[in-house]
Amino acid sequence: MTLNRSLAPEFKIPEDISLPKPTKRTLKNGVPLFFIPTTAVDAVKLEINTDTQSMVGDLEKKLVAYFTLHLTLEGTKTKNSEVLDDFFDTYASEVDVISNFEHNGLSLLTTTKHFAKVLPVFRSLFTEAIFPEKELVKRKSQKSLSITIQREKNSVQASQLFRNQLFDQGHSYGQIVTEEDVDAIVREDLLAFYKDSLWINPEIFVTGNLNETALDLIAQTFESLPVTFKEIESPVFSNKAKARIYENREKSLQSSLRIGCHLIPKNHPDYFALYVFNTFLGGYFGSRLIKNIREEKGHTYGIYSSIGSLKDADYWVVMADVQKQFLEEVIGEIYKELDLLQSELISDQELEVVRNYMIGNFLSNFSSAFDLIDRFKSIHQAGLDFGFFQRQLDFIRSFNPEEIRAVGKKYLKKENMVEVIVG
Amino acid sequence: MIDYQKFVLDNGLQVLVHEDHTTKMAVLNILYKVGSRNEIPGKTGLAHFFEHLMFGSSKNVPVFDTPLEKVGGSCNAFTNTDITNYYITLPAINIETAFWLESDRMLQLNLSEKTIETQRKVVLEEFKQRYLNQPYGDVFHHLKGLAYDTHPYQWPTIGKNLEDIIGFTAADVADFYYTHYRPDNATMVVAGDVTLEQVKNLVEKWFGDIPKGILPKKGILQELPQKVKKTLTIEADVPTDALYKVYHMPARLHDGYLEADLITDILGFGRSSTLEQRLVKNGKVFASVGGYVLGSVDPGLLVFSGKMEKGQSAEEAEKELDDVIEDFKNNPIQKSILTKVKNQAEAMKTYESIELLNRAMSLAYYAHLGNPEHYQTEYEKKTRIKPEEILSWANKILKEENSSVLYYKSRA
Repeated sequence: MTLNRSLAPEFKIPEDISLPKPTKRTLKNGVPLFFIPTTAVDAVKLEINTDTQSMVGDLEKKLVAYFTLHLTLEGTKTKNSEVLDDFFDTYASEVDVISNFEHNGLSLLTTTKHFAKVLPVFRSLFTEAIFPEKELVKRKSQKSLSITIQREKNSVQASQLFRNQLFDQGHSYGQIVTEEDVDAIVREDLLAFYKDSLWINPEIFVTGNLNETALDLIAQTFESLPVTFKEIESPVFSNKAKARIYENREKSLQSSLRIGCHLIPKNHPDYFALYVFNTFLGGYFGSRLIKNIREEKGHTYGIYSSIGSLKDADYWVVMADVQKQFLEEVIGEIYKELDLLQSELISDQELEVVRNYMIGNFLSNFSSAFDLIDRFKSIHQAGLDFGFFQRQLDFIRSFNPEEIRAVGKKYLKKENMVEVIVG
Repeated sequence: MIDYQKFVLDNGLQVLVHEDHTTKMAVLNILYKVGSRNEIPGKTGLAHFFEHLMFGSSKNVPVFDTPLEKVGGSCNAFTNTDITNYYITLPAINIETAFWLESDRMLQLNLSEKTIETQRKVVLEEFKQRYLNQPYGDVFHHLKGLAYDTHPYQWPTIGKNLEDIIGFTAADVADFYYTHYRPDNATMVVAGDVTLEQVKNLVEKWFGDIPKGILPKKGILQELPQKVKKTLTIEADVPTDALYKVYHMPARLHDGYLEADLITDILGFGRSSTLEQRLVKNGKVFASVGGYVLGSVDPGLLVFSGKMEKGQSAEEAEKELDDVIEDFKNNPIQKSILTKVKNQAEAMKTYESIELLNRAMSLAYYAHLGNPEHYQTEYEKKTRIKPEEILSWANKILKEENSSVLYYKSRA
């Protein structure tokens, strides 16, 4: 019998999607430790995160946490910089610095085989660092150069200006870091910050093929860490009105575009619907924006919209690098697609595609054991419980076109949009 | 070690199955043995351009992505100098949809004018976004053009210039498809929550009747040994100078390849590497430095690269780099350094195997090289290499007359 290729194979919607939860224990110093086991993978990831919000307000020393954390790797009381580098490389372990708008910390990626050997040295970075001047000079010079190079990139500059317009220079989310901020850092800043301000509200996240004994070892290792717990208020930002910012770059071949606005937080009842609305508009490869501006018109290599997640300050943004001569046309088309989704109901056909795509994507996101801890962390740090994902999945399975149209209309208003163009 | 089972269809399609029942997902990965090395001057960038066309329509599938999204899947692809690799990730219960889609575009892709013209625009924008409109974005255009005189590795996979992409004709595209996109030029890996029996049935059903290729592949002009050092100075609007120094090195699977890989592991990989310690941490000229190999099917390049501190010149940087290389060639390698790079090679295998998709791609890649066992044997061979052998190859490869140097200078 010849095969009938015109007939698509039958398919099913995945039913049982299990969303494993981490186990929690609390160390003697009060630090919570969350763990998800991965029996099939002999790698270990251990991460300690603190609260960056505690730093908001220090405008003169924006980079103090960044340099403090980086310099922990440049020498401790017993191992100088070269010895530390050699140690971690010899045991094929990577120590990474986490320093972003919301969290500071250190992470360790290693193998089950080398874990016990590496852990004490990793721990020494937390309290034994000596902050040598020579290494600080080099790291400052590197950071300064990197800032200069990054600013040359239209896309980086556009994102910076967008955040700056959205949150303002007075708020950490809106700050643009410059070479002057690097210059402002001196060794004493790091010593003081390391001593008093770094380990505030820390939490430990661990994944890997570890048994109870190994977890006990982690607990013992970090229970001696001097930590501070305190209530930190979420920073206030002004909700800026519509504005267009244009940075002309004569020699650029393309313009980097950002359009967006503030959004409701993740714990808001309308959040899931907005998340789905965003998927239709620009959140996957079959989205309206991709179909129109890339696949139909060829004006860009890629155009996406996404929900930027910051604690108590989610925002929505469209991003693209487009041909200069079609810039205004693309902006017009973005608003047209936004308007269409806000005024016309999504067809059953498109609805089925997106619903199923999102369910599949969900299954995929939760199928790699090693990534589970990151999924948990993101939602936990936003102040939500792991039930968030089950509720989100339930919503994806059941939403109707009316609520998607309504939510888009309610929150993504043209008059609130900030537009940034660089190039 | 990645477990797999293997079979070959009568039309030459090679199939590997990697069962992993700890997940509910599946991956269908198809590697076509074609990349920019199969291009000719004037038609550069065609392999990558063609990758874009594969996401257009085929006889029974108006838009490739939509039916896949409808069953909860997603897909992507990449092209490099040697291969074009397509992958689909989807719930394993819907694996047959991936077979339907992949077989339809292998058998009967629609090369419509609309798809060609739109993707031409998209790829021109990709070219600008990634290579022309970025600081240092065109480094490899200059560097590869300098290092290679005859081999197609002289242009990057995106293409030598925008003009070549503007010039592709419908005939170029059709010819490329019927030459390279045939079952006997492909390696398929199916991984995840599937069984060998199931995959056998599905492969036979969907790919069994696709005919072999009949158009011969064109020969590839090989590079002659380089006799004199080559240099090129470029001035650009960048904040600081950059230096790239490359050496011709053996092809993947040839003697000396793994030794070259170890040379760059020792000199240029990680914070403790010789280059990082001497030139960055204890030097004033380099802001960053690295060393790696472009491990390609035909003889590739061993690369050292770095950015200079503001105000320092690329020419000065080369002298410092040369000093480190000379010292390396003339001194024994410490045992502790070998232990370190071997530990790293071992750990890298652990890290790489975390994702199902990575495992599928690795299998496809090593199968395309000739045998999926290479994944394991290459690693074992690498960890057995003696320090004298590394140094002997260092002295063969790291010679001035075998080098090409790009001074990428800040115009300021």
